[in-house]
Amino acid sequence: MAVAHSVPLVAGNAVTGLPHPPEPDDGEVARRFAAGDERALAWAYERWGPQLYGLAVRALGAGPDAEDVLQQSFVSAWNGRAGYRPDAGPLPAWLVGICRHRIADAWVRRERQRRESDAALSSARLQPTGDVDAGLDTAVTDRVLVIAELERLGQPQRGILELAFFEDLTHAQIAERTGIPLGTVKSHIRRSLERLRSRLEVDGAALHS
Amino acid sequence: MQHCTREELALAALSEPLTPDQDAHLASCGACSAEVGSLRRGVDTLTALPRPATAPAVLPPPAVWSAIAAATGVSATPRPEVLAASAAAGGAPGAPPPPAPTAAAPRPPADPPVDELALRRRARRRWLAAVAASLAVGIVVGASGAALVGRSDDAVTVAAAGLSPYGGSDASGEAVLRVRDDESRVLDVRLTVRPTGGDYFEVWLLDPASQRMIALGVLDGGQTALPVPDGVDTSVFRTVDVSREAVDGDPAHSAFSIARGEL
Repeated sequence: MAVAHSVPLVAGNAVTGLPHPPEPDDGEVARRFAAGDERALAWAYERWGPQLYGLAVRALGAGPDAEDVLQQSFVSAWNGRAGYRPDAGPLPAWLVGICRHRIADAWVRRERQRRESDAALSSARLQPTGDVDAGLDTAVTDRVLVIAELERLGQPQRGILELAFFEDLTHAQIAERTGIPLGTVKSHIRRSLERLRSRLEVDGAALHS
Repeated sequence: MQHCTREELALAALSEPLTPDQDAHLASCGACSAEVGSLRRGVDTLTALPRPATAPAVLPPPAVWSAIAAATGVSATPRPEVLAASAAAGGAPGAPPPPAPTAAAPRPPADPPVDELALRRRARRRWLAAVAASLAVGIVVGASGAALVGRSDDAVTVAAAGLSPYGGSDASGEAVLRVRDDESRVLDVRLTVRPTGGDYFEVWLLDPASQRMIALGVLDGGQTALPVPDGVDTSVFRTVDVSREAVDGDPAHSAFSIARGEL
């Protein structure tokens, strides 16, 4: 005979395997986070902080920049929690999106510093400074634009691209995994790539001009 | 041999295998291979982004949480043993974090090394589940978006635009772009006002950069579903425009727009 519990908490935790105390599941953490329960910020940090920090370290190298990105990501997520809707997707995916933005900001900051130090070097050598006013490094702006465009894509296009790129699935595997018809997956991929292309060609050109 | 479809070219840009016939055509056709090349810039950029599946989790230094707690005023604290367990669970064995760039020459991150492919194969199931879950939600949201304009077929909503009054009108409404299983597209448009005095409303897609327009059709009875021709790139022609037209036999835009919105 099953005992009815008044508080439906999941016992145990996929991350820690610890039996005690009962841990809220990821969905419960997300709901409490959105509701402003302070414990949920600590839970979210316990569960996803190392993964976000790993992203930042991969993008920026270990050090103060990556630490700043992690700190800013959680602070903006907490301050902006009203913008998170638990019914629109998992909390960790939302946090990753915020973290990518902070990483993009850090890339731009670094690139600006690099140009400034190049400029200082050129003027010290009394060389022409034709490059000083040039736009940001193409690879950096491309990444910043792509991150912004990913956010604009909306679902299911963004999820399909994430499965293709971040999980390395083929379009057939994506269709199988999500239940979206094969032709629709192909069509979403095509449209999303074309959209990225226009964004890079149009806005990329504007940023470099 | 006919040209590859745009879907096939997009898959080729992702390095997905094509049929031998398509591969042969691609190798010999300048137009098709140029199309693949032009898509590669976005593909390469996406590939270079840090992603949860390949970036090993790393235990953050304690100072980070202290700074978060100070900035948010939150007094709850993460448990060190749980944090360490998350870092260990999310780690990719044998993949040390890359060294920090030197302060003298900060550079953007290098492209992923080739051996990262092996790491990608070990993508963590948790993230896959999370992304798949968000996709399922997206589909549900898409379905409800379609329901908004009273459609019940199983086309997927890919974009939507709120239509706001334009040019001093009081017309507003919404437009929802959907893709059917056969990949044909349809734009559902709904408007709050009806034409009066013998005029009619027409729906257009506008490229805001070039101001070029494509006529989609007549908005009849306040709500209608209009097919979007194949080949119209709605990321370029992304502004939905509704015009008031006189029955004068002139097929051009009357220049009296009453509502607009961006897809």
